[in-house]
Amino acid sequence: MTDPLPLSRGSVIKVVSDAGPIIHLDELGAIDLLADFQLVYVPDEVWIEVERHRPQAIRRIAAQLSKCSPPNCERVDSIKAVYSLHRGEYAALCQCMVFKNALLLTDDTAARLAAKALAMNAHGTIGLLLRALRRSHLSKDETLRLLREIPQRSSLHVRPSFLAEIIEQAAAFSPAPRFAR
Amino acid sequence: MSTLIQTEIPDQLMLQAKQMVERGWAVDINSIITESLRRYLESHQEGLSEQFIREDVEWGLKGDD
Repeated sequence: MTDPLPLSRGSVIKVVSDAGPIIHLDELGAIDLLADFQLVYVPDEVWIEVERHRPQAIRRIAAQLSKCSPPNCERVDSIKAVYSLHRGEYAALCQCMVFKNALLLTDDTAARLAAKALAMNAHGTIGLLLRALRRSHLSKDETLRLLREIPQRSSLHVRPSFLAEIIEQAAAFSPAPRFAR
Repeated sequence: MSTLIQTEIPDQLMLQAKQMVERGWAVDINSIITESLRRYLESHQEGLSEQFIREDVEWGLKGDD
């Protein structure tokens, strides 16, 4: 793993996380990748869920997380039942509604569907690993190792042949050239 | 063709389902359970999960943030 990222260089985008990516990144030993965001908002319900399943994750990245209590949101209420959203997912979506153009971090398919219905951006653990490669916070070797370790080290389920396809794409990645201004 | 199942449901959930039937939103409890299961399976399809991960790969490797 690379050195912890300096907080001041974090992306300014407002980020709200569901439990999945926090737990999965910590299982992979890559929780510090969240430090690439200035702050990650974590609703109370999600905080409780992470503390129950992976308490050490919260301790490791506590300075980067902001516990929040989002107000209920009518638009999220209206689709809560349709997508069978759990409390944490519901709260994370409500918190995203508080911000404009927030990014939701989730690995839950139903929450992703709900986010799409609400015109929100949402991405998960694999996206975060590959983003770290693109932003040079992980080397290619580290990224490939973490992707390969997903089945053994994390509770994130990805079909093996599909994961192999992702690993191939990551292996073929070459950073876009940067032009001098 | 259908299959008979026996399951435990939290009281509060059952109460809400009964209220929906009483208010005419659903024909009966069976139809609510069938519809709920159908929607759950629809929103948790493997193909859908993989589609979202493909979007992650695109964002991760080619995003501009």
